[in-house]
Amino acid sequence: MAQKKNHRTSSDDPEELTRTVLQAVLLADSFAQKFRPITLERPKVLLPLVNAPMIEYTLAWLESVGVEEVFVFCCAHSQQVKSYLENSQWTKQPGAFSVTTIESHDAISAGDALRVIYTHGIIRGDFILISGDTVSNMSLAKALSEHKDRRKKDPLAIMTMVIKHSKPSALTHQTRLGNDEIIMAIDPGTKELLYYEDKVDLSQHLISLDKMLLADKSALSLHNDKQDCYIDICSPEVLSLFTDNFDYQHLRRHFVKGLLIDDIMGYKIFTHEIQSSYAARVDNFRSYDTISKDILQRWTYPFVPDVQYLGNGLQIKLDREGIYKAPEVVQSRSAHIDSFTVLGNATTVGDNAVIYNSVIGQGCTIGHNVTIEGSYIWDNVKIEDGCKLSHALVCDGVHLRAGVVLEPGVILSFKVEVGQQIVVPAYSKVSLLPQPSKQDSDEELEYADANTGIIESPSIATMMNAQKVDFPRGTSDADRSGTSEFYVSGAGYIWSSCEGGNEDEWRHSIAPIPADKLSESLLNAFADVDAPDQDTSCIPASGELLPDSASTVGDGEDYRDSADFEKEVEATFQRALAGVDLENVILEINSLRLSYHMSHADCAGALFHSIMKAALVPSYSSKNDLYANAVKEIIKWRDLLKHYLKTLDEEIEVILKFEEISVETAREFSPLVSNILSCLYDKEILSEEAILSWAQEKEGADESDKIFTKQSEQFIKWLREASEEEDEDKD
Amino acid sequence: MPDVQTLVNDFVLKLKRRKIEGSQASAKQTAELLRSVVSQQRLPYINQATVLLDAVRAVGEQLIAANPVELAVGNIVRRILHIIREEDLTSTASAMEGLSLSANSDDDDNYEREDHQALSAAAVAAAARSTLRAPSLQTLLEGIPESASAPHPSSSGGDSEGKSKSAERSSRSKKLKHDVIEAINELIQDIETCHEQISEQAVGLIHQNEVILTLGRSRTVKEFLCAANEKKRSFRVFIAEGAPRYLGHVLAKELVAKGLQTTVITDSAVFAMISRVNMVIVGAHAIMANGGVIAPVGINMVALAAQRHAVPFVVVAGSHKLCPLYPHNPEVLLNDFKSPSDLLDFGEFSDCMDFSTSGGSPRLHVVNPAFDFIPSKLVSLFITDTGGHSPSYIYRLIADYYSADDFVVRRRSTS
Amino acid sequence: MWRRSASFVLDKRQLAQASPPHQQILLSSDDMEPNNLPNPNPSTDHGISAYYQTRAEHHAVVTSDWLAQAQAAVTRNAAVPEVLPKIAATGGSRAAGSGKAFSVIDEFNYWRKKPDLAEAVAAIMALAAFIRSSEATTMMELEIELKKASDTLKSWDTTSISLSAGCDLFMRYVTRTSALEYEDFNAAKLRLIERGEKFGEISLKARRTIAMLGQDFVFDGSTILVHGYSRVVLEVLKLAASNRKMFRVLCTEGRPDRTGLRFSNELAQVGVPVKLLIDSAVAYTMDEVDMVFVGADGVVESGGIINMMGTYQIALVAHCMNKPVYVAAESYKFARLYPLDQKDLAPAIRPIEFGVPIPSGVEVERNARDYTPPQYLTLLFTDLGVLTPSVVSDELIQLYL
Repeated sequence: MAQKKNHRTSSDDPEELTRTVLQAVLLADSFAQKFRPITLERPKVLLPLVNAPMIEYTLAWLESVGVEEVFVFCCAHSQQVKSYLENSQWTKQPGAFSVTTIESHDAISAGDALRVIYTHGIIRGDFILISGDTVSNMSLAKALSEHKDRRKKDPLAIMTMVIKHSKPSALTHQTRLGNDEIIMAIDPGTKELLYYEDKVDLSQHLISLDKMLLADKSALSLHNDKQDCYIDICSPEVLSLFTDNFDYQHLRRHFVKGLLIDDIMGYKIFTHEIQSSYAARVDNFRSYDTISKDILQRWTYPFVPDVQYLGNGLQIKLDREGIYKAPEVVQSRSAHIDSFTVLGNATTVGDNAVIYNSVIGQGCTIGHNVTIEGSYIWDNVKIEDGCKLSHALVCDGVHLRAGVVLEPGVILSFKVEVGQQIVVPAYSKVSLLPQPSKQDSDEELEYADANTGIIESPSIATMMNAQKVDFPRGTSDADRSGTSEFYVSGAGYIWSSCEGGNEDEWRHSIAPIPADKLSESLLNAFADVDAPDQDTSCIPASGELLPDSASTVGDGEDYRDSADFEKEVEATFQRALAGVDLENVILEINSLRLSYHMSHADCAGALFHSIMKAALVPSYSSKNDLYANAVKEIIKWRDLLKHYLKTLDEEIEVILKFEEISVETAREFSPLVSNILSCLYDKEILSEEAILSWAQEKEGADESDKIFTKQSEQFIKWLREASEEEDEDKD
Repeated sequence: MPDVQTLVNDFVLKLKRRKIEGSQASAKQTAELLRSVVSQQRLPYINQATVLLDAVRAVGEQLIAANPVELAVGNIVRRILHIIREEDLTSTASAMEGLSLSANSDDDDNYEREDHQALSAAAVAAAARSTLRAPSLQTLLEGIPESASAPHPSSSGGDSEGKSKSAERSSRSKKLKHDVIEAINELIQDIETCHEQISEQAVGLIHQNEVILTLGRSRTVKEFLCAANEKKRSFRVFIAEGAPRYLGHVLAKELVAKGLQTTVITDSAVFAMISRVNMVIVGAHAIMANGGVIAPVGINMVALAAQRHAVPFVVVAGSHKLCPLYPHNPEVLLNDFKSPSDLLDFGEFSDCMDFSTSGGSPRLHVVNPAFDFIPSKLVSLFITDTGGHSPSYIYRLIADYYSADDFVVRRRSTS
Repeated sequence: MWRRSASFVLDKRQLAQASPPHQQILLSSDDMEPNNLPNPNPSTDHGISAYYQTRAEHHAVVTSDWLAQAQAAVTRNAAVPEVLPKIAATGGSRAAGSGKAFSVIDEFNYWRKKPDLAEAVAAIMALAAFIRSSEATTMMELEIELKKASDTLKSWDTTSISLSAGCDLFMRYVTRTSALEYEDFNAAKLRLIERGEKFGEISLKARRTIAMLGQDFVFDGSTILVHGYSRVVLEVLKLAASNRKMFRVLCTEGRPDRTGLRFSNELAQVGVPVKLLIDSAVAYTMDEVDMVFVGADGVVESGGIINMMGTYQIALVAHCMNKPVYVAAESYKFARLYPLDQKDLAPAIRPIEFGVPIPSGVEVERNARDYTPPQYLTLLFTDLGVLTPSVVSDELIQLYL
């Protein structure tokens, strides 16, 4: 309760703060290209999320949890970020909350960023590492105290990762934020992170855990339903670690995994799961969509449009069923605004316009009979009459002429113009800037240098005359689009789908996943269910493997192995029957033995098993001719067997196997055990020691196991005597 | 003494970020802030009242805008504006008379005319006849600007400015501010002590062996019950837990600690229990001008149940919760929608809100309003620090506490 | 009858110590009521109550397509104005011997003709004019004469409430002014006059104020039921519309004078979606209504209102469907009446066209208005602010105590 209350007031207990000045490192650069082409012109952190720049949410949260110093690391478009911050409410904030920017242009990854920050030497104590596109309302007090306590006990616990329970969709195997599902192994007791895999390939359904984990942990729980919030509480060591290993680039892929793997330093990462509160990171267009909707549904309270926490001082009014209206909205009486919609300040909506599940920015003009569904319209957008937008993202200053249709997943970057009656196909991205050629799009920079090669998608001129007059174009295009229709036609490049390729677009785009994709992944899902039991999706989400259960799993595994090992051997053996020469058989069996980590004994047992099977094949009337068959087979494969019966216990293994066979698989042999044993002895396949020691072993066993020893009693007796005689002979 | 402006900004931010818990706290802090505003405001030789009023209005406007949900802030601002007018009036009354009313009430009037569109209702109503008391038939004819020389008992700050040209104004220049600050201090005093004031009346209302029902947790209610308990009244308390925040549980703890006989019930059990209850006592978020009450969600249901069984429904609230406005559109305008996480565990339901697979539109909506509106006809009695009042009497209290032209707090450019 | 009301007793006492002659005048004005109510000649045009004429006159303004109906109304009442003075004269002479009574009535009728001038205002104007023309030399004298005049005025049309309300208000004011002693009589007199003339302005401002107050209550997406043609209500809705509020209005037809048609027309012009109902469809549509707006001819001491016929039943329906009923009325319509039931008021007779000839021996209810008790009203928007019915009675008591 207290915790919840704490969260509601979103202020942490003062003494928590007084101890040390709480610092935070905010990465104002995602070092990724998910948001291209938009990020070519504006840094991601300044992109509006429900009409407020993302960084506002992050800063507001940091302020609310009592962080006092924030270092904003900006790389791409650093000027924009800096100038924004200078004019924002945070820099002229009364009280203890300071925002300072750190700039560096050659940083191409979070790793570099942290290295730069390390060189500045400004981090004095534990700090919060967060990226500028994170939305959260969690209360840090608990996590922080946990972290500090752990630090006191164990200086190696250098990082606390905030995670959140969130079920991935069974169909698409991605979280609702559009990331692939993450598999984590967590020690349920200490909450230590033991295993982290964010790139699970779902093609073959298995994850491989280091056996050591099972070995030295009393228990561990595997989760695929935990969402990484990308909010980390780090100790200063983290920075030094980054500087020590230059190859650390990505926070998770390199750093976290690196720490987990190497056990020389023995650094530990712990997790803190948040219950009631919200935290998520805008990572791709899908998460942009999802988080926007979460905000409208007020999961991020108090960071919602109508509470003036964020920069804009506007009085936004929350109407029935989640319609947020800024003061100066001019709305036609016939316009129909439906639930979960935001209308930005000074926006006008024309007659019979239908808007739902959408966010409209400031100063937009929306014409008559426009339909806008699940779309994100930023500021000063002109939408003329009769346009249809569904699940599109439209940036500032875009101009859609009458009758334009945007199909799901379309991204229109800044100031793009689209001519009349044009249908922009699904998932296409249009920008005024040409698409940089591939080779530099590999290097992880948000901004492209203009002079790199330009890929023009061939469809530009045909689909819509996309160039501006002043832009140099291939002559073919020039011919096709006469100068007359420039201004009706509009301007912009169509980007060929960026890395990931088109077949993957639907995963991360703003649009909901189309039905056909769903249905097909549905089929896959069913396939998975049929698939053998090592499928990840069938591991009960966050099922806990306690030691005993773990061991059973272990047994199960090698049991399974031996089973199909025997099958394999038998198969080989059959081929041998078909007349493959001995050498090859031995060769094959050996190779099998290696691949299955089996001992000679196993081979011998398996082999013997198959021999006995073979003996059963030909028809037999009485047990005598069955015996005959058996003897025949044994003689036939004697050498092969001998090849594996090098030592005593292998022979014993064979006997035990034989027992097993005659008890379980082939009861027919049970009466013949003694005879066959003796025969084996005669054929010098089994030594007397083997049989005797077998007999001795069986002494201790209970009656049920003794049947065969009893049966072959006199044979054993005879053996004993024989040996004694020999002894006598000796002396 | 820090600069006022920074104080104001600081407070505005706090309000914006909902960092101030509860009406009483915000009311108190507002009053203190405005006190410092008044004390720091340097007054000109003349027109002190207007200058003060404008200063307070300017600040008050920001405060109210900062957190429209917390009505107490606005109430206090209006109270203080009222105080200033009163103080000024008394001092004017003491001052000499017979001066013809000056031009500035005149241009007040032009001002109304030119942009009455911008100015909203109450402001115009006020300026139509700038009287201190709520306008009344009595003054219907008198309030005319060009009115002749006779001094009216009900002349306002606006009018008195005219007289302010008198000579011995200077002698009063200190006095006005001093008086105002004095009055504000009293106000703060009242706010602080309102719980005691209310609790004193507890014994009179709660009788031996009665069963009291309340919902959620209101500090006022708690004090009220405890006060009765200390006076050796033995009675039982039913507490409806007050989903989704379950503050009822907290209250139960506190009461039991104080040694009261306490029973916790679910909200849905209220109707089942009500027949055994002698009186319902609840706290309020705000009392509106028509006697309607804005209270934590769930109380309307209790009120209906109480009415069904003719159980007296008593609302206890400090007078700083008395709001001179009408609930024009209660469910929207004056409600606050909290985070759904109070109701649901996000993780459990996250798959219901996977927009990628659910065709892009959220299929699961969770609404978590903070307040109910209880119409005045369901309330039997209000208990404020000034005593018990029937709902129909509320407008009188408001007439005493507030002056009509402050209903809408707007900066009046005196140019 | 209103003389049953408490305030009447008060009034009487106060008048008694004011000056004896009033008594007799008052009584005379009383006992002449009976022979005023059943109107001298029961032909329709003479039967029309002055109250109803005023309404008709005021409706006879504006909008082209309304003119037709307006014409009809006017022609119907064409005969009336010249007969009026006669009635007035007789009434006047019978009331107070002084010839000035004539001037009062004429004055009143003159003001009354002005389109957007409320009756009460006209009355006060008239009284102001009366003061100017009177050659009383002392305050007391003036008061007495004025009292006579106002009584004449009231008795001339007993059916109009705002008329009597206006008179009372002014008289009240005069007495209160005279209470504060003036060194010279003329100053006082001047003041009174200039007050009276200002009153028109007040009434206009009052309307604006009410519009301001009322429009706050209109919220987006609301549906408002309106009954009768009230200039104040119209102003409220117009203002709300101009503030980009999104609401729709349902107008009752308002048989027989079709006020609804005109009202809807006015609203349609400012682009408010509006729908006409026949009066009997109110209950049918009430479920989709969010609030009921009505004007008032008079607001009585109980806090109830007297308004166009049909208001009562609408209020009843609204009340049992828990819809708020808002009344918009200027404060000078507060009258010192305390009707206990419908028949308590002098009926305002009006003509009713049934289209077909009414069979002989069939009686027709020709009263133009009814009384709505306070418990069916939610709030009153007045220029004194937004009041609950209980506040109204308070105000009146304060004023006349």
